Amino acid sequence: MKGSRILLVDDEVVFTNNMSKLLNNRGYLVTAVNSGDSAIQKLEGEDFDVVVLDLKMPGMDGITTLKEIKKLDLFTETLILTGHGSIDTAMEAIKLGAYDYLTKPCEIDELVAKIEGAWEKKDDEQQKDMQEKIQKVVESPKSAFSLFGKKKSGK
Amino acid sequence: MAEDKEIKGGIYVNNVEVLRERQKHYYARFFRRFAFLIIVCFLIPLLFVGWGINFYYTRFAKERMTSSFHAQVENHRKIIELFLRQRSSKLQLIAHTHFKEYLGEVSNLARVFEMINLESSSFTDLGVIDGYGRHLAYVGPYDLMDKNYSDAFWFRQVMEKGLYVSDMFMGFRKVPHFIMAVTRQEKGERWILRATIDTEVFRSLVENVRIGKTGEVYLLNRQGVFQTSPRFRGKIMERAPFSAEPVHEGTRIRILEGGTDEQKQRIPRRIVAQTWLTEPRWMLVVTQDYSEAFSEVNHANHATLIFLFLSAIGILIITVIITKHMIEVIKRRDVEADQLNRQLMQAGKLASVGELSAGVAHEINNPLAIILTERQILLDLMGQTPALDGNFREALLESLSQIDVQVQRCKRITQNLLRFSRRTTSVIETVDLNEFIAEVVELMEREAKTSGIKFSPDLEEDLPPILTDPSQLQQVFLNMINNAIDAHEGKSYGSIHISTRSDDNAQGVQVVFADTGAGISDENQEKIFDPFFTTKPVGRGTGLGLSICYSIIKRLGGDIAVQSEEGKGTVFTLFLPYSPPPDLMESINKVAEV
Repeated sequence: MKGSRILLVDDEVVFTNNMSKLLNNRGYLVTAVNSGDSAIQKLEGEDFDVVVLDLKMPGMDGITTLKEIKKLDLFTETLILTGHGSIDTAMEAIKLGAYDYLTKPCEIDELVAKIEGAWEKKDDEQQKDMQEKIQKVVESPKSAFSLFGKKKSGK
Repeated sequence: MAEDKEIKGGIYVNNVEVLRERQKHYYARFFRRFAFLIIVCFLIPLLFVGWGINFYYTRFAKERMTSSFHAQVENHRKIIELFLRQRSSKLQLIAHTHFKEYLGEVSNLARVFEMINLESSSFTDLGVIDGYGRHLAYVGPYDLMDKNYSDAFWFRQVMEKGLYVSDMFMGFRKVPHFIMAVTRQEKGERWILRATIDTEVFRSLVENVRIGKTGEVYLLNRQGVFQTSPRFRGKIMERAPFSAEPVHEGTRIRILEGGTDEQKQRIPRRIVAQTWLTEPRWMLVVTQDYSEAFSEVNHANHATLIFLFLSAIGILIITVIITKHMIEVIKRRDVEADQLNRQLMQAGKLASVGELSAGVAHEINNPLAIILTERQILLDLMGQTPALDGNFREALLESLSQIDVQVQRCKRITQNLLRFSRRTTSVIETVDLNEFIAEVVELMEREAKTSGIKFSPDLEEDLPPILTDPSQLQQVFLNMINNAIDAHEGKSYGSIHISTRSDDNAQGVQVVFADTGAGISDENQEKIFDPFFTTKPVGRGTGLGLSICYSIIKRLGGDIAVQSEEGKGTVFTLFLPYSPPPDLMESINKVAEV
């Protein structure tokens, strides 16, 4: 979906720069950071639809970053992009709640397809959440104040 | 290049030969040391015990034999003494019971002579001699009536002592003889009754007591003159070649060492017993060859020696057999240890290469990803720049597509490396190997056909299904077939034979891939499972295929072996267990739990 907000997390600056350009060319709003810590900081301040996360990074690694993202409880899907062929780690990431994984090097089209899938999933979940909330407000209008604003991200 | 290979080959062969030679020396040295130790350990106690038993037996046996020899000599002395005493008693009895006048009559003397010789004719003659040495009467074979003995030694002795037994002497009759004389005091006058002892009777009494074949008995007087004839070396009345012992009591036994006599005749070692008679003072000498006297001991000694010799030979034979057996066992153990070592080394190599591969793959994948993004950026830029020169555009596109091809190639390599690093997840399923092989063959058939290669499967009917990882197994089988096809390069046709056989004893299935390709040299057979070893041209093989196969098969609890003959073909024999090893199952379960 064009206009989706993508957070690109990878310690390779050249890679993030190039990927940002390519994704921007394809209509995405890309923010690139080069560490897990910066990613968490960004997520705390801004809303993103999809996080593209590298697994092997100095400092906070991909798995820890993923766990931290999950703690934030946002309407954001995480896509793992790893140069490390360890499928075991990728599988672990999926078990921790990542949307899917891709191994480097990958074609831009593959990545775009996965991002689209992630966005759709995120959108579905957001819609479902919204409907549940509306339902609750219809049933009990007083609860409206407490319900909205539970999740930071939300259109 | 070819020369180089030959030189390298030569060095390799030489090294192997040097190693074999060294090993041979090692075993030979081991054999010698071990054999020596066993021999020393067995032989020394045997010799010690043998020597000890023999020593004590010899000592006791010799003591027993010597004492029996001693007793024999003592008895003989007593017999001789008894003989002489009886004769002298007879004379004394006659002298003291008859008057001189009576015995002075020859007829009376002859009757008495006859009477004393009735029992045994041990007297040769009998004479009565007055105090002046004159014969009064004589009965005997010689004419001695006119002889006067007043100057004779024996006459003086008997007049002095009353009883006298002479040494052997020739006397008037010129034959060796000895006399016995007694005196009687009658009416203030002394007279003598004198008798000659029958030398033959006496000699036979003394000499005929023979001891064995080499024994001899004789008498010596104090001057060392033979009183009887010895059996060897000497005659009666001759001086003995040795001097007589001083008079002593009892019987002395000595061992005389052998040597040669004056005639240069060999005298053997002898046992000698010497004892002095009381009257006359003659020395009874009994000798026997040492070897005969102690023949029993010598036999025992020989028997012991033979026994020891046979035992030693037995020990030698047993030692050789045991040592050879031990060396064989050690050789076998060494070979097993060597194989185990090689397997461990192989496993170690694979593990370290695995670790390395994972790191390298990651490090390469990142730049590859960047290259791909750069390529994509260029493509994007081209898309945004429509007014690009046609030729330039084409050339650029071609370059970009080549970049993609090469990146994909690199990706394949890194993927292979990663697969090798064992970091892939296993999924264990029930697999019908026959069906599975058929699928793989179908997959490869097109490629094989273009190379002129036929498949000839020989799959066992009712092959039991096995529990294994199909995706990894597929990789192994594809690799096997790929290699088999590649081995036919340069040949216009060939075949790949694939067979399956179940083995209930080993609890698994044997899968054989046999090709008619180029084969593998003996030298290379040792290296084919090593990572990065390849004989394929640069760019064609990573040298990881068989390493990965080896590592997969080992992980699945199986085994892989190769047999090959250069120019004829190669046979890979794979063993796959009915179910994978428990540790693999455990690790899979753990991953599933995460």
